[in-house]
Amino acid sequence: MKKVFTFFAFMLLMFFVVACSGDSSENPDTSETTDSDSTEDSGSEISDSWQPEQTIEFVAPAGAGGGWDTTARMAAQVFNETGIIEQDIGVENQPGGGGAVAWADIHKQDGSPYNLFVSSPPLLLVPLNGQSEFGHEDFTPLSNIIADYGAFAVRADAPWDDLNDLFEDMKEDPSSISVVGASSPGSMDHIQFVKIAKAAGVDPTKIKYVSDQDGGALTSLLNGSVDVYSTGVAETVEQVKAGEIKVLGITAEERLEGEVLSTFPTAIEQGIDETFVNWRGFFGPPNMDPEAVNYYEQKFKELSDSEEFAEIRANYGWDEQYMNSEEYKKFLDEEKESIASLLEELGLSE
Amino acid sequence: MDALQGIMTGIQVALSVEGILFVLMGVFVGTFIGMLPGLGPISAIAIMIPITYGMAPTIALVMMAGVYYGAVFGGSTSSILLNAPGISGTVASSFDGYPMAQQGKAGKALAVAAISSFAGGTVSVVLLMLFAPVLASVAVSFGPPAYFALMLMGLTLISSLSECSTIKALISATIGFMVATIGLDGQTGTQRFTFGNPNLFEGIDFLVIALGLFALTEVCTLILNRKDQSLSQNKSIGSLKLSKSDVKEMSGPMSRHSFLGFILGILPGAGATIASFISYVTEKRISKKSHQFGKGSIKGLAAPEASNNAATSGAFVPLLSLGIPGSGTTAVMLGAFMVLGVQPGPLLMSDQPEIFWGIIASMYIGNIFLLIINLPLIPYIARILRIPRPLLISLVIMFSLIGVYSISFNPFDLYLLLICGVLGFVMRLFSFPAPPLILAFILGGMMEQSFRQSLTISNGNLMIFIENPISLALLIVALLSFLVPIIKYFISRKSEDSNETTSL
Repeated sequence: MKKVFTFFAFMLLMFFVVACSGDSSENPDTSETTDSDSTEDSGSEISDSWQPEQTIEFVAPAGAGGGWDTTARMAAQVFNETGIIEQDIGVENQPGGGGAVAWADIHKQDGSPYNLFVSSPPLLLVPLNGQSEFGHEDFTPLSNIIADYGAFAVRADAPWDDLNDLFEDMKEDPSSISVVGASSPGSMDHIQFVKIAKAAGVDPTKIKYVSDQDGGALTSLLNGSVDVYSTGVAETVEQVKAGEIKVLGITAEERLEGEVLSTFPTAIEQGIDETFVNWRGFFGPPNMDPEAVNYYEQKFKELSDSEEFAEIRANYGWDEQYMNSEEYKKFLDEEKESIASLLEELGLSE
Repeated sequence: MDALQGIMTGIQVALSVEGILFVLMGVFVGTFIGMLPGLGPISAIAIMIPITYGMAPTIALVMMAGVYYGAVFGGSTSSILLNAPGISGTVASSFDGYPMAQQGKAGKALAVAAISSFAGGTVSVVLLMLFAPVLASVAVSFGPPAYFALMLMGLTLISSLSECSTIKALISATIGFMVATIGLDGQTGTQRFTFGNPNLFEGIDFLVIALGLFALTEVCTLILNRKDQSLSQNKSIGSLKLSKSDVKEMSGPMSRHSFLGFILGILPGAGATIASFISYVTEKRISKKSHQFGKGSIKGLAAPEASNNAATSGAFVPLLSLGIPGSGTTAVMLGAFMVLGVQPGPLLMSDQPEIFWGIIASMYIGNIFLLIINLPLIPYIARILRIPRPLLISLVIMFSLIGVYSISFNPFDLYLLLICGVLGFVMRLFSFPAPPLILAFILGGMMEQSFRQSLTISNGNLMIFIENPISLALLIVALLSFLVPIIKYFISRKSEDSNETTSL
């Protein structure tokens, strides 16, 4: 009797493990996707061109919970729930090397139209820092779907009221002001600040940047250890509402929409003609069939225009920014060039 | 008055039928997943996120919180029974829990763990309720210099982890420091000891090292000693009952480390793992029977267990009141909040008191559920030890592999796990203790980064560590904890010398 119980207890344990490890790597919604109510006509529109015939995989080249993971999961969910893509979509996390591990893996899937991945500026920065063999040129850009912007925040009682105040002081005595961000030098939080500061005339090599990757960046700002916090716009909203910090400037072209967001001035309106976009979009392996590229372009456009995805954008504070494959590639080439020269100046490029 | 009203709404949420039901579900799933070696709160929360789609945010978050602390609660089981830590926060629980299980006191060990976890969880929830609004300022009071001093203080306690040879403990710790430097350096982005391999860029995961050094090493030893009948005969689980003296023994560390763990949990970046280690070593340092530590001491099990559960509730302070995730797990929790359209931050308490206080109040009920679920299950869970040894060994190996793979989905980590297993086995053969390596690894990385962050801020001026009052106080404690044993040693030797001379 006891033996039987133990046996069952263990079978249950094993079942759970198998179920768990399966669940966390695949899209949980795949089982509910076969409802065939909508979009019959949208299918016939492109019936003669390429159509997916097996499960499509979205790779998030990072662990669960981050921006890439959320974007991949939300896109997959909306695709399947609305029936924009009826074929099942699985989301897989492949962390490691800041994305480099997954990129190396996807690069091997030459020509496959089923292995997509989500990416953002690190796809330019990581290879420029010499940490990945592969960059955006080695993949097929499909579509950009969202944009996010950087914000530079200081404590509410800080002596600076706009970016020019801050940058004037930085020009005078760069060693007196430290900037904190959650990523390492040469990556996003650092580069977005340097890019704007440089445009304002600050010597980029003299900027004191502290990287805090253990979640202490905002804490360090609040307790006065550092002076400026370079981060994403969304991360600042709650603290601004509570009156703890103020945002001196954001890296967007125009002011953003939203109760608090619309109060953040852009760098451009303060006379600093520079922007930084934290774009996020989807890529495929190299040499993807142009018909398949076409198919995905169209589908991502539909996704971007859908009400369901608009709601998700609002939830996460993302901005809409659709680019098709060709626009995307051109945009990325230009971005990479400008970042490369910046990194060279900082002495960070390989 | 407002806070009181908030607490009342919170209790209402927690005591509603839905609230109770979903807390129960959360803690059950959490404790179950936590029990599996290698699978911890991160996987548990990630699995549960899709389930919450469309649920009322308050109820969903109450459940997710339950999953989180439930996983920490259950995580001790595999540490104690198999020496295969379920989560990083319970690695320290295996130091004394596993020896207890081997001595045929598995039942007692599990009971001690469950009761200490309950105490840690409950004390910290009470503290959370009373002081949550004030504590937010504690969480932000630590800057880089203070973190450096805190980590340094933790390190001065390493010497107390050595069983026989201090030199061997220090060598172990040095290896731990070296392993901590692998990966991209945070302050410059330079590659260190990666050999250009992208799999190593983000460093080595703590759990890979812990499972290799403990679970796989244990498996190797078991295989090597398979003909040794004395061990395999010892399959008794022992009584669950704690004698009066047991209760007396555990009450001290339990209460002390419920507080210490809670405070360390509040600090972003410290969390349950560091809290449980620091609790273990401080308890050993202050205990009069420190020689029993590592050999099945009840105190040595009660301290980290109370501490890691208290730290788990503590981690909710920066998460709820500042919106700062202090650890990988709370970062995933923050993701769960966002999915539900709730933005934790300084305004959560006034804008959505039912969420803020509902989660806190539900934790009290969740902890009671955890105790009720876990205690009666102990005799059944402990029967794992009765599984024939060849089968048990293969199960431990299998679970360790699954656990590591579920963190990264990267086969490279499986090789790393095997390397750590071999390293652990060689260390055991030559009786190098593993705990100092682990402690140096978790403290070393953060210590280095906060040291360099401080120096960047101060333009290289070391005075920054003394000018900051918190870091100054911690440095003094560190100095004392380093010097006192040395002074004690000399005093005792002097008195021995004088004894000898008088006897001559």
